[in-house]
Amino acid sequence: MAIAPQRLKSSATNGAARVNFTLNGTPVAAQPDETILQAADRHGIEIPRLCYKDGYRPDGNCRVCMVEIEGERVLAPSCCRMPSEGMNVNSTGERATKSQKMVTELLLTDMPGQTTSPYKRASELDVWAGKLGVAAARYPQREQWAPDLSHPAMSVNLDACIQCGRCVRACREEQVNDVIGYAWRGEHAKIVFDFDDPMGVSSCVACGECVQACPTGALAPANGVALIEPDKKVDSACPYCGVGCLLTYNIKDEKIIYVEGRDGPANASRLCVKGRFGFDYVHNPKRLTKPMIRKEGVAKTSALLDPDDMWTAFREATWEEALDLAGGKLRAIREQRGPKGLAGFGSAKGSNEEAYLFQKLVRTGFGTNNVDH
Amino acid sequence: METIDITGGVPLGQAARKMPVAGDEGRRKKRRGQGKGRPVDPVALEEVRALLGDEPRRRDLLIEHLHKIQDRYRAISAAHLNALAEEMRLAPAEVFEVATFYHHFDVVKDGEAAPPAVTVRVCDGLSCEMAGAQNLLAMLRNGGYGEGVRVITAPCVGRCDTAPVAVVNQNPLDHATVADVDAALESKALTAAVPAYTGYDAYVAGGGYALLKACVAGERTADDVIATMENAGLRGLGGAGFPAGRKWKIVRSESAPRLMAVNIDEGEPGTFKDRFYLERDPHRFLEGMLIAAWAVGIAEIYVYLRDEYAAARAILTAEIAALQAHAPVPLPPIHLRRGAGAYICGEESAMIESIEGKKGMPRLRPPYVAQVGVFGRPTLEHNMETLYWVREIVERGAEWFASQGRNGRKGLRSFSVSGRVQKPGVHLAPAGITIRELIDEYAGGMLPGHTFYGYFPGGASGGILPASMDDIPLDFDTLNKYGCFIGSAAIIVLSDKDTAKSAALNMLRFFHDESCGQCTPCRVGTAKAVALMERGDWDKELLTDLSTVMMDASICGLGQAAPNPYLCVYKYFPHEVS
Repeated sequence: MAIAPQRLKSSATNGAARVNFTLNGTPVAAQPDETILQAADRHGIEIPRLCYKDGYRPDGNCRVCMVEIEGERVLAPSCCRMPSEGMNVNSTGERATKSQKMVTELLLTDMPGQTTSPYKRASELDVWAGKLGVAAARYPQREQWAPDLSHPAMSVNLDACIQCGRCVRACREEQVNDVIGYAWRGEHAKIVFDFDDPMGVSSCVACGECVQACPTGALAPANGVALIEPDKKVDSACPYCGVGCLLTYNIKDEKIIYVEGRDGPANASRLCVKGRFGFDYVHNPKRLTKPMIRKEGVAKTSALLDPDDMWTAFREATWEEALDLAGGKLRAIREQRGPKGLAGFGSAKGSNEEAYLFQKLVRTGFGTNNVDH
Repeated sequence: METIDITGGVPLGQAARKMPVAGDEGRRKKRRGQGKGRPVDPVALEEVRALLGDEPRRRDLLIEHLHKIQDRYRAISAAHLNALAEEMRLAPAEVFEVATFYHHFDVVKDGEAAPPAVTVRVCDGLSCEMAGAQNLLAMLRNGGYGEGVRVITAPCVGRCDTAPVAVVNQNPLDHATVADVDAALESKALTAAVPAYTGYDAYVAGGGYALLKACVAGERTADDVIATMENAGLRGLGGAGFPAGRKWKIVRSESAPRLMAVNIDEGEPGTFKDRFYLERDPHRFLEGMLIAAWAVGIAEIYVYLRDEYAAARAILTAEIAALQAHAPVPLPPIHLRRGAGAYICGEESAMIESIEGKKGMPRLRPPYVAQVGVFGRPTLEHNMETLYWVREIVERGAEWFASQGRNGRKGLRSFSVSGRVQKPGVHLAPAGITIRELIDEYAGGMLPGHTFYGYFPGGASGGILPASMDDIPLDFDTLNKYGCFIGSAAIIVLSDKDTAKSAALNMLRFFHDESCGQCTPCRVGTAKAVALMERGDWDKELLTDLSTVMMDASICGLGQAAPNPYLCVYKYFPHEVS
């Protein structure tokens, strides 16, 4: 267990003193709550990292961010280590680089085919291997785990797992679902769901935080979509509920292929199952996309309408016509039956602002307080 | 619970039937209101509640509670594990990862067969292997014991002086033979025999606890006692050798409440000194512990004992109870915690994690345990033997202890000597003694027909030295320049019948089995090292590169020291690998 450096990014900048230390021969100043790695980032010095994910509790287990600190017997993980005044740190010297490269090589050794991840474009391991110039894995490979494709939305391929524990922190500490664990020990230590159950039958609620956290694609959206290069990325807000989680749609051939959480004030890049995986309705041909008005002479029925045969009962209308019609009918009810003849049920998908407007309509327009969602 | 039928096995409680996982029959059919994952089996829940009784369901007692299930049912079924998670208000995944981390818990997943009622563990530590453990193992595996008995290997069980050792359930058999194992199975001797030792009354009659009383009564000051400890030069005898007196001072200056953790997870292959003292004079250790607690101002004490030491556990349980019943002074709460088969829990911060009921994964330092230890409190952590010497040092004075020693070194060391010597055992000898002097003066010389070839000066981690380097004083610091260290003073003596190469492979297999799996250099490094070394023709470049990252970048001492055995082979036994 690592003691977490502070999560807030720069809360302690006021008052507390900066820490002056030397990084690769250059004097730098760290914020009082910054790790060596964070300070290096701010100064444009890149240190490799794998188990580290911005916003998560740093765990310091992958050991690819090792730096040499003058006077210390062994290297230190820059993601967990706070600099101290006068400290002399080297992240690019021979000793630090040797360990950074060796860790990368050892992890690459155990990837399927001892090469780039087959489950994700730009696996973080592959990116760092490229930057560090680690090409070939020279060591014998571990025995691999079988794939787990039991979940409709996510695939589990632990042969690409580097045991960095980001998914465990995602599940346990970020989303507090506590489904993922790291069981057994040593070389056999394994990412598990509940009691090492198939993901699809575990208590997983499919928030997908682990997929977003996984650096190598060992946990990935199902059906290999993480391997597809999107044509474009569209930043948006989740359309489901009123929380307002920000997200990014990855689009290929005008279709959403997968969704990523985006850092917003309401969600800090997190999403729930609906926001992350519930986007297939967008491309459903039966989706209502324009206003429709019941045709003259077609009676109302309690039977479900056949979505493929809507046009026998409805015709397309403009928004103006549809709103006039609906508004007129509501007004007619109010005039006929008074405010008690009306009540309003809004949608839980409405935003806060929409909910406000809706209750305003019901209270001032309808004249009743009977409004809910 | 040890009088079970060893032929038929024991059922895993009524709850052992296969529990359906929600979704087995298609996720969409699930009824509203039923949670995802496993439903809690009501029978299993009742069984677990009965086992736990009115004990607290606190998280830090998870391992203790897992022991109760394992002891009762000889395994831990998924249904029981799920019920325990429910009862302790923990997530199933967290309970599962803890249970599977420790070797002594047999987690039985849905639909899997329960393990046999009897487990014969054959120690495959180096000393036992040199004494024929592999042969014994092969014979036992062909012993035709049927389905009621399983024969497996175990890492060093801390009885290297009586190698080879087999443990039948919890009954250790010294100098084990197939006939011994047969006899134990036949007579259902499945628990550890408790050796004769100095109990509470005898200890008090011999003047025991007088010093503690004098301290608490104010006849001595904490400053004086700490000064005595510092002047004596006693250093931590678990392996790291941190000066004991200075440690007391450091922790004493931290804010209260301060806690204490006693490390008796003696697992370093070749080491058995803690068990030796515990099974003879447990109160000498307890008094030392209480004096330290008094001097430092300790609020509560946690004693962590490895699970393999069943006799010592019986002794400590009884004697702590006797002590509490006749408390010579007001006692802080003393909690005896039981390990569960994990060498790594001898690492100080891993032990703290285990005390807190978690997997034994070492913490990153800083912060150091003196500042942030058990439950986040400042913690005085000591090896058991360090505390064992406190009473004698304070009674006889710092000078007495410091005046011991040889070859320019000071103090006494309890050497656990095993391997090819006439008299293996714990030998209390002057610090700084050389291996040649130790073998000749204390260990009765080499076994007949064996010529001294090399030695491990400090257990599995401390490296291997050749017979030609037999004049090095054995003590802290003196071995560092040779790439070795004395650690817990576990000396394994090799002869011309052994090779350093195969001894190194034995040790690397041990590290591979015992790596916790947290950091890449150790988790992957120990596995790759074993794979390379098993090829016979060692690849020097690959092994050397591995050693660099393991030594420089592992989180704890296990990974940092794991390459020592093979590095020493290259350095001091080059003829074996050329």
